[in-house]
Amino acid sequence: MSEINFKIDGKEFTAQPGETILQVAEKNGISIPTLCYNEKVSKTTSCFVCVVKDCKTGKFLPSCSACPAPGQEVESSTEEVRDMRRTALNLLLSEHAGDCEAPCTIACPAHAKVEEYVRAGRKGEHLEGLKIIKERIPLPMSIGRVCPRFCEKDCRKNISGKPVAINDFKRLAADLHFDEYMEEIPADNGFKVGVVGAGPAGLSTAYYLRRMGFQVKVFEQMPKAGGMLRYGIPEYRLPKAILDREIAHFVKMGIEIECGRKLGDNLSMDDLKNDFDAVAVTIGCWQPSSMRCEGDELATEGIAFLEKLARNDWSGDNPGKTIVVGGGNTAMDCLRTSVRLGSSDVTCFYRRTEQEMPAEKLEIHEAKEEGVNFEFLVAPLKLAKGANGKLILTCQRMELGEPDASGRRRPIVIEGSDFDIEADTVIAAIGQKTSAPAGLAVNRWGDLDVKEHTYHMEGKVFAAGDCVTGAATVVEGVAGGRIIALGINSMLTKEEYEVEPVVNVSRGHWRSLAKEDLVFLRDNISDEERVEQRLIPIEERKSTFNEVAYTFTPEEVQSEGERCIECSCTAKGDCKLKKHSEEYGADPEAFKGERLLQGYDNRHPAIIHDRMKCIKCGICVKVCSEVVNKSLLSQKNRGFATRVEPLFGSQLPDSCTQCGACIEECPVGALDWRIKE
Amino acid sequence: MADILKIKVGTASCGLAAGSGEVFDFFKANAGNVPVVGVGCIGHCYAEPMVEVETSEGTVAYREVKADQKSLDNILALGDSNRLEIPKARKKREMLKVTRLAGKICPTSLDEYMAEGGYGALKKALGLSPEEVIDEVKKSGLRGRGGGGFPTGLKWQFLAAKKNVDKKILVCNADEGDPGAFMDRSMMESVPHQVLEGMLIGAYATGADVLFIYCRAEYPLAIKHLKIAIEDIRKNKLNVVNGKALDIIIKEGAGAFVCGEETALIASLEGRRGTPRFRPPFPTDSGWNGYPTSLNNVETFANIPILIAEGGEEFAKIGTEKSKGTKLFALAGDLENPGLIEVPMGTTIGEIVFDIGGAKPEDVKAVQTGGPSGGCIPKELFDTPVDYDSLNSLGAIMGSGGMIVIGSNRCMVETARYFLDFTHRESCGKCTFCRVGTKRMFETLERIVAGEGCEEDIAFLEDIGPKIKKGSLCGLGQTAPNPVLATLRYFRNEFIDHVVDKKCTALACNNLVDIKLNQDNCVKCRLCIKNCPVGAVSDDFVIDNSKCTRCNTCIEVCPKNTIARAPKGEGYYSE
Repeated sequence: MSEINFKIDGKEFTAQPGETILQVAEKNGISIPTLCYNEKVSKTTSCFVCVVKDCKTGKFLPSCSACPAPGQEVESSTEEVRDMRRTALNLLLSEHAGDCEAPCTIACPAHAKVEEYVRAGRKGEHLEGLKIIKERIPLPMSIGRVCPRFCEKDCRKNISGKPVAINDFKRLAADLHFDEYMEEIPADNGFKVGVVGAGPAGLSTAYYLRRMGFQVKVFEQMPKAGGMLRYGIPEYRLPKAILDREIAHFVKMGIEIECGRKLGDNLSMDDLKNDFDAVAVTIGCWQPSSMRCEGDELATEGIAFLEKLARNDWSGDNPGKTIVVGGGNTAMDCLRTSVRLGSSDVTCFYRRTEQEMPAEKLEIHEAKEEGVNFEFLVAPLKLAKGANGKLILTCQRMELGEPDASGRRRPIVIEGSDFDIEADTVIAAIGQKTSAPAGLAVNRWGDLDVKEHTYHMEGKVFAAGDCVTGAATVVEGVAGGRIIALGINSMLTKEEYEVEPVVNVSRGHWRSLAKEDLVFLRDNISDEERVEQRLIPIEERKSTFNEVAYTFTPEEVQSEGERCIECSCTAKGDCKLKKHSEEYGADPEAFKGERLLQGYDNRHPAIIHDRMKCIKCGICVKVCSEVVNKSLLSQKNRGFATRVEPLFGSQLPDSCTQCGACIEECPVGALDWRIKE
Repeated sequence: MADILKIKVGTASCGLAAGSGEVFDFFKANAGNVPVVGVGCIGHCYAEPMVEVETSEGTVAYREVKADQKSLDNILALGDSNRLEIPKARKKREMLKVTRLAGKICPTSLDEYMAEGGYGALKKALGLSPEEVIDEVKKSGLRGRGGGGFPTGLKWQFLAAKKNVDKKILVCNADEGDPGAFMDRSMMESVPHQVLEGMLIGAYATGADVLFIYCRAEYPLAIKHLKIAIEDIRKNKLNVVNGKALDIIIKEGAGAFVCGEETALIASLEGRRGTPRFRPPFPTDSGWNGYPTSLNNVETFANIPILIAEGGEEFAKIGTEKSKGTKLFALAGDLENPGLIEVPMGTTIGEIVFDIGGAKPEDVKAVQTGGPSGGCIPKELFDTPVDYDSLNSLGAIMGSGGMIVIGSNRCMVETARYFLDFTHRESCGKCTFCRVGTKRMFETLERIVAGEGCEEDIAFLEDIGPKIKKGSLCGLGQTAPNPVLATLRYFRNEFIDHVVDKKCTALACNNLVDIKLNQDNCVKCRLCIKNCPVGAVSDDFVIDNSKCTRCNTCIEVCPKNTIARAPKGEGYYSE
């Protein structure tokens, strides 16, 4: 037999007799995705991800098995072929039930590798944990204290109890090792970036740019760096000495911070654009919203109230009888600060009920512990000054109606329910808006107008943080900062943008799952209750600005770590289904339908068999029978119920020598070791 | 009166199921000197249990015979009651060649088969050279009757051309899996020798030395008859071909539909999981355990003795240009006279459904050919001749010969769902498109018949259907979407009704239907109240649709037809 000439995508190739289209393509650098094909075993030809189209017959051929015919022309890169491959991947994804990434990491705005640093904490490797954390969280001591813990809200432990105390892992790791870990800073790459605003987003931008070799200068309008961390979050939640250590670290890394420079005042965009290769605008969200009622100018603005105290090292006058209007975290900060300043009568006025309050539940709880009163379903109508010099706040009662756009039930005025109340201080903590300097484009909400995903504004200008998202959390700020750091790097160095995971298969939110649906990798996952956060005595909390919560001890963190289920896929980073799905734009949500939950086997001491992830390629069956000569695995059932199992559904028998050949060749994480590293 | 020579009771599976076993036993015990024998099936299922009386003046047939003295007396007297008169229209359309002996002779009697000329074709073939036999088969134009329609002569030629191999294998595919299809079963039960004779001729022509019959285990009677027949020909040395006594090995299939596909069948025959594989290599190059293998269907083999006996050219005189000979069909569904029929290729669907099947045109909506792998053909196209290519062009297939008449009271969406329910579960689970794709299609159809579908669902079905056909290794996946796609092609309006108007015009889909009682005609007999399994009919004769399960019991028991299905929303709901 002689050589065979044929064409792929119009280009002439030569195949040896017996060679498949795939082999010829691979030899010539044409990439064709495969899943069920494995050169160590005989062909299965089942996944149809490797299809090419025969131009003449119009048929789709599995290139792993089809040998070219003389003169044959096949297409491998047309949209039709890509669509066929994508459909095959979509179908596989639609029955694939795993977790590419753990829900905590997906929930974290910065996508910090939660499972990994929790594991490090469990093993007592806190410096290692800190390194993992700082890949995404450059302010671990601050965020370890003030983060609202998005991760814990999605933690699967919620199914049967309280979530793992994830944030406390960050806090302990950072408290133990912050000063001793210095990032490797590469040689200067020659580019200079100017950052406006030294809040979480600006510092994060600077941090990640510096780690990539940029020279960075941060301009800050306030006397000291830190933004809302310093001027918005009270001392008792985040001691400023700790923040100072973190700021000092940035400086030590070679980041220059110049305070007292305000954009549009003594700093101009034009100068920035001239002096720097790129400009990051991270100016935050500092303009308070008013109560929008008569006399609202008599109220103290919430963030101004906090800022004044911050500038004065958290000492100030007793505000007397205090009413704080608003239900967010800033309102909680004002309430609890007022208590600490000596007021014995502090009340929160909120127009909906406690259920709708945007403030963190923990904050509300601790405020109550400290003696704060709450009045729900009241809204301010008028603020006036009484004859005795005291403020008189006129309010009206509300009731809840239908849900509004935010999904919360809309408060409706109860007519004739007006009442007056006297106070020494009325603080409006309604919310904040971005105050965009002239020359920067804004969107319809008044925030800086950036492109989706990249946060690029125009030319060399990027923006991130509260000024883009509206008032948000510290962790969202640092996440945005990292995104623009990557964007700036990509723009200036032409390096490819590091893509965040675009395909994430999830077994489902914990609310939709039962305990039986969870996959337990380890045998010894602890059923202990979550470690209670220890707090300083209540009298000390009410009378001083001392930090309220203690850092967990290493023992407490280890105990929490034992509770972690380690939900994410064991084949993270090594999954062909995910890789091809990302390349072909496949979508786990494209075809909805039944998935096979509850089908994993962890009876073997070293190997976990998660059939829910299995794509039924049968490679493991063949590897065991054809390569290892054991035949310990087989396929059973038909149709959608097809599954791979040891014979008779029993666990892997003693004759399994744990050679790992099946694990090695499994294209997804259906067969894997029970230990994650 | 004519002398009664013999009483023949149809005791194939279909007759036995209708009670012919009892009839046979009773007649045997009580018919005195008249010999009572069991025979196979003549294909008139609607008339079972059937008895044929052989007399000195010809035969008289009786239908729906009971195992009692009255029936026996009637038959012994050649009485008039319960006579089976084969409708003239059916007689005119049918052409019994392959099934000529079915129901006429004792299936397990070699003598009776030989008396009818049996094994004469084998003898004739052995007098020719193998090449000449293949030539006759090629001249006949015979195409595979299992559904693929591949020219039999050509396949045999491929196998015959294999020289210098240790073994050659010939397999009879008797894994008849289409729901409602029973042509092969009937042939094996009624004339097993005819199938064996075809196989032996094939072995001679191709040089095959190992012969298998892969028969589904659900056909115990067929297997029993085949085993007896095999033993008989072995004893009589009829199995000596090419100087060797050939064994014919019966392998019982475990019931997987996919094992009717040749490569899956071979895998199963080898003792492996029955899943298809990529071709090439084709079985004639590398089949059972790597040996060259030819697989032919039962009906194909049953055609061979006839073809050889009369010669290929004579055989080819019947049929259409590209489809020669006759074809068996298992006629079922909404019609008067279901049964097994044999017609010349080229007979129109209408002739089959109306003339032979006795269906009334106004009661018929469509016909499904090719079983769950085929498609529906609407009444408007009933003048289409039955041959491989005409049916393909309509989006249906000839298949193995299942033909299901769909009455005008049926919902086509539900019909498509019904067929896909079968195929998606019978998928072997190997190819992604078939395993997951048919499942997703099925789920979508379930939603649509439940009134929860949307227009995107139709677009999804039309997108994924052709992809499943293109992205599957074997005939199962390559045809599984057919019932849905053909229904979408000819009855799209019914899909639209379901998803847009949430309406089932046929009033078949329970989620889109209410039950109503018209009190004007009600005679207050309370039968509906007594029979309702869920107590949904009130004492004042109002049907509560919030309780009703749409089981139709009340409709069936009502003597006055006052109860009927109605579009959803027209019925009464207590909550």
